[in-house]
Amino acid sequence: MGKSDKSLHIVLLYCLTQLGVIYFVYPEDIIASAEEGHWLPVVLGIFVNLIVTAAYMKGLRYFPKQDLIGILTGVGKTAAVLFLLPITVYLFMVNLITVRAFAEIITIVFLSNTPLWSIIALLLAISGLIAMNGAFSIMRTGVLLGLLFLPLMAFVIFMSFQNADWRYVFPLLDDNLGFLTHKSYLESLFAFATSFLFLGFVQPEFKYSPKKVLLGIVALIPFYLLAVYIPLLTFGRATASTFKFPFVMVVSTIQINWLMFDRVTMFLLLSLISFTMLFIALLIWQTGVIVGRTIPKVKMSYIVTALSVVTFIGCVMVRNWEDIEELFLCNAVLRLYVWLIVPFAVYLLGLREKRRSGYGNR
Amino acid sequence: MGIAKRLVLGFAAVCLAIPLAGCWDNTDINHRVLPVVMGVSKKEGVFRVFLQIPEPGMNRLRIRIVSETGNTITHAVDKISTNMEEHVDLLHVKIILLDKNYAREGVNDSITDFMRAREISSKALVTICDEELPVFFANVKRAMEQRGSTLYDFFEKNAGWNPQIALTRVWQVYRSIHSYTRDVAIPIVRSGKSLMIEHRGSAVIKNGRMVGRLNGDETLLFNAFSGESTQGRIEVMKSASVLIVSNTLHNRIGLRGRTPYMTSVLKLQVVLLETRGNPTNEVIMNELDELLTKRFMTMFQKIQSKQADILGIGQFYRMIIPRERLANWREDYYPRLEMNLRVQTNIQNTGFLNSP
Repeated sequence: MGKSDKSLHIVLLYCLTQLGVIYFVYPEDIIASAEEGHWLPVVLGIFVNLIVTAAYMKGLRYFPKQDLIGILTGVGKTAAVLFLLPITVYLFMVNLITVRAFAEIITIVFLSNTPLWSIIALLLAISGLIAMNGAFSIMRTGVLLGLLFLPLMAFVIFMSFQNADWRYVFPLLDDNLGFLTHKSYLESLFAFATSFLFLGFVQPEFKYSPKKVLLGIVALIPFYLLAVYIPLLTFGRATASTFKFPFVMVVSTIQINWLMFDRVTMFLLLSLISFTMLFIALLIWQTGVIVGRTIPKVKMSYIVTALSVVTFIGCVMVRNWEDIEELFLCNAVLRLYVWLIVPFAVYLLGLREKRRSGYGNR
Repeated sequence: MGIAKRLVLGFAAVCLAIPLAGCWDNTDINHRVLPVVMGVSKKEGVFRVFLQIPEPGMNRLRIRIVSETGNTITHAVDKISTNMEEHVDLLHVKIILLDKNYAREGVNDSITDFMRAREISSKALVTICDEELPVFFANVKRAMEQRGSTLYDFFEKNAGWNPQIALTRVWQVYRSIHSYTRDVAIPIVRSGKSLMIEHRGSAVIKNGRMVGRLNGDETLLFNAFSGESTQGRIEVMKSASVLIVSNTLHNRIGLRGRTPYMTSVLKLQVVLLETRGNPTNEVIMNELDELLTKRFMTMFQKIQSKQADILGIGQFYRMIIPRERLANWREDYYPRLEMNLRVQTNIQNTGFLNSP
């Protein structure tokens, strides 16, 4: 492979954005969705994610010289509108929800006196700045953040076993599959439904090996399980289901006598927030790329700035956590559309392209 | 990029550092007070909150005790904060002292509020006070100012903690409120005559309410069952006293119909400390086995009759009893549990002297 093979960067970016998302709301949703045997919903979600991502990348492979937007606009005007409009709206909404939710999390957990707007502004300013410099700058930031914060996270996760009671693992199997229709379970899929999209945006500029991306997803499996199981092992299902952020709660119970810092929670949160900033940067960048394609005359940096400002206004207009949850629910249809329809549509388009070029050769 | 543009951008980046520092509404350290101990009592629906605030003086520690009443704990703390010249910051509260009567009434609401708000750490230790809180705080203040030590050390595992003391944190009490199969024991203290505080055994908490109490020896066994008895001293009445160096627990559990049974062997490795007369190792071991087994069974009957599962025995049944029925563990199964615990001691060494 040539010099432009950026598999490592891309896999790392994918993993970091996933990590930033799964330690907050994901455990709560999974714990709420099932009474027992929580590994099943987790593994099922990851399995579907693997299939979806594999199909998506397989489809993208058929268009080695185009990115997602090129592929979709290549089909025709209607298709482009049909696919790109929902994706744009979806990305924008995810961005808004993520920024707002994380600002709220930051106020809940440590900056109780700081006004919300300033946290939102900071999150957006930093992420926007990264996004403005393009995909490669996001990836490089990813490597830096990974080097800085992954060891810290590993430490915190290792320490969070301190109060685990392994007997809480049982019972291992739930005899009904009630979680499948549970509202919370559908919400938990949020964790998967966004990060994979960028794989279609970075090509053809950067090459990556799909196999490594899939391996990255497999390597993340323990982290999903830990995010759900550490709270369960520490508190038990009955108690853990009363928490809004079960994992953060577990971390705040860690007592380390030899460490000079009293609250380890801060380490975890700072790592996760930096990963989330990366995620937000990625979202802004993707939205920016789509918008930029429709108005090619405007410079990318202006688009990104405008998007950040609009997101900021949107975030400030959201009043409370319930509003966030409502937005999240409104977004659910779009989420399923983007997660389940778009990848397979790309795959089918790819097959069609292959057939067509096959005819051409003959 | 031109030089001017670079400069502007660089300046903007530097300016970002100002909001990034997070100094919004920051209260300077010498304008806040950081209480270490918080006492809570409740009489006729009104909370009374005590805060013990250490004030570092020139060469000695001064202690200030403030108290206030209110309809809620926050209300009372808020009143204190208003009436003091400094801002009260509960971030460093290490010990929460609950009035005995309030504990009997049930502390669910307070514990839930501690968990909800981020101010009080969920790692703070919970204790119960065996006397009126004003008396306790006055006595402790006097003792502490003479000695310059803090109440906190009494409970710290790396300081003054003993295996006779149950060590329970806010989140564990919270877990006991919700969990099907887990209750907790909380240490009971009062102010001492010669020493700062006196340990008076522990309270059995079931679903956030104090339902009974254990004495120090029983708490030691409770800790041994949870695997935390190392360094505990046991007085054997007739012939010797020993020090526990390590302990292991082996359980066999089962369910006959709706009657759970449990056979446990608690193995203690001990070191001989004192002897009276010339007992052989055999005699000491037998005596110890007998004494501890009896003591444990007495304690177990006591907590079983209160339906409080502080040993967490229900945990062992998670794989046998389905979850829906485990929800009634405390009522349906636990009272019928047939517990059979045998203590096996092994004298690891007899110190520098030969055993007779």
